[in-house]
Amino acid sequence: MILLNNKEYLNRLFESDKPLIIYKASIGYDVYTDFSDSINITKSNIDKFINKTLTSTKIRNKLFDGYIGFFGYELCCDLIGVKIPKQKNNRFPKSIFYKPQTIIKIRKNITIESILPNFKYVKDLIKTNKNFFYENKFNVNLSFKQYSKLFKKFSLKIRQGKTYQIKLCQKYRNISNLDSVKFFWRLMKVNSSPESFLIKDKNYSIISCSPETLLEKNNNKIFTKPIAGTYKKTSKTSLNKAKIFFDKNEKENKEHNMIVDMERNDISKICKAGTVKITKLKFVEEYKDLYHYVTKITGILKKSSTNLDIIKAMMPGGSVIGCPKINTLNLLNSLEKDSRNIFTGSFGYIKSNGDMHFNIIIRALVNYHDICEISVASGIILDSTAKKEYQENYIKAKSLLDIFKK
Amino acid sequence: MIYLIDHQDSFTYNLAHLLENFDDVFVSNYFDINDNKLNQSSMVVFSPGPGEPKDYPKSNILYKKLKGKKKLLGICLGFQQILYNEKGIITQQRKIYHGFQSKIKVLKTSKLFKENKCFTVGRYHSLKLNEPYYSKEIKITMRCVNSKVAMAIEDHINKIFGFQFHPDSFLTKNGKKLIQKIISA
Repeated sequence: MILLNNKEYLNRLFESDKPLIIYKASIGYDVYTDFSDSINITKSNIDKFINKTLTSTKIRNKLFDGYIGFFGYELCCDLIGVKIPKQKNNRFPKSIFYKPQTIIKIRKNITIESILPNFKYVKDLIKTNKNFFYENKFNVNLSFKQYSKLFKKFSLKIRQGKTYQIKLCQKYRNISNLDSVKFFWRLMKVNSSPESFLIKDKNYSIISCSPETLLEKNNNKIFTKPIAGTYKKTSKTSLNKAKIFFDKNEKENKEHNMIVDMERNDISKICKAGTVKITKLKFVEEYKDLYHYVTKITGILKKSSTNLDIIKAMMPGGSVIGCPKINTLNLLNSLEKDSRNIFTGSFGYIKSNGDMHFNIIIRALVNYHDICEISVASGIILDSTAKKEYQENYIKAKSLLDIFKK
Repeated sequence: MIYLIDHQDSFTYNLAHLLENFDDVFVSNYFDINDNKLNQSSMVVFSPGPGEPKDYPKSNILYKKLKGKKKLLGICLGFQQILYNEKGIITQQRKIYHGFQSKIKVLKTSKLFKENKCFTVGRYHSLKLNEPYYSKEIKITMRCVNSKVAMAIEDHINKIFGFQFHPDSFLTKNGKKLIQKIISA
């Protein structure tokens, strides 16, 4: 039997083909692996998954007892009865959840907790022999001209009151097969946003530096932390200057106000009347290339609200869709020609005791069948211009595009 | 009980929670009305929503059916629905108010609020009532201080009320008080 120390084991794991998930923790990272189960979730089995599979899990892993994975955009739409017409689609799974048996905590030291007796017996943990390659140039699915045309169409819908705000998605693609762990750490070096994660499975990987928490549920308490408002970072900007910019900018404020009322609405669906509160209004968070305008909203859940009710009420996260949700989703789905895939879906976990944490999948890259796809979106409201929003999309994609530069 | 007709808006449940301060609230989609609950309700609220009144023929039929029989309140789209069914014309406005905070003022036509009192309110509307508008029963009772756009209506004969702004928005101060006046009207 070969026994490695924790660091050696972790490095060996990263160089192998073994499926794993890395999720940013408040300090450091958590690595989930040794999946005993992985389930493709659809509209027809989600009820069973949430109400039976999860709750029947025997408590054996003290550190983490539950499933971790993602809900794609299409499933989120399916769940609330919003139909998606035929789009360009790469048949990427709608949703997958994994049950980990080993959790590795990367802090100052590395600790490993596993329910497997021989987890360090690394006979099957051999170095990958996959052929990794990547291009550093990307194709954009919408040229500025095409984007402007859609922008005009949506502006008209806003004038007519069909939507109040809409987030148009744009995709950057190239041909790559990434060494995803390496790329994830490269991204984390420059932009370790609070909701960053990596999923590496046999045939795909997702790398994200999402800054946005969609929901956290602990017992009967729930909160959401919508982001709306972006300010480009330069050598001349500061957190304080960003705050002044946001507070004085009418367009950013209106866009943010709308998202705050929308998220208050979504959380109100599942919370007791009178318990929904804005606990922190309009504060600024700083990231590698930009600043964001953020609000925190909390509530106490109704006794009758199930986890499925919560998911349906909150997903897909409003701040990356537009407002009002249903009509705006229908408009988006009819005019966006490419499937959003995982983009604006949610990644996170559900524990067997019912506690949940989910982000919104933005600033994310999917690598599937040798295609690498980065999606970004920014808001069309009447005071914005196609040029400005097209540029904002590029700023949002930049930290992901940059990791392809050597 | 208050029956809240939802036009699939993303602000309806803010309104539901505001109304729950005063009575039980039942919410349903505009295309899925529960007649039993509707009969039990003392007040019916037409929610905000995307589009314009003529996009919702079912709600328009319902309004005509309920007029004079139950207390009615319309918010945003709901406000426009009332006026549309009372021969008002709803048009696009040059400046669009989405997520906008405005000052509005009570007119002397109001029986519920003190003349000249100002409120700070949140607005989400592309469309407005085209004026001049005349009705024997419906009075315009509040206007935007700057744009003068109609912001509230009262009809004390049929007990019909409406706000173009959102009393449910976090941008509205005293939203609860505004609803309280309607409840006790």
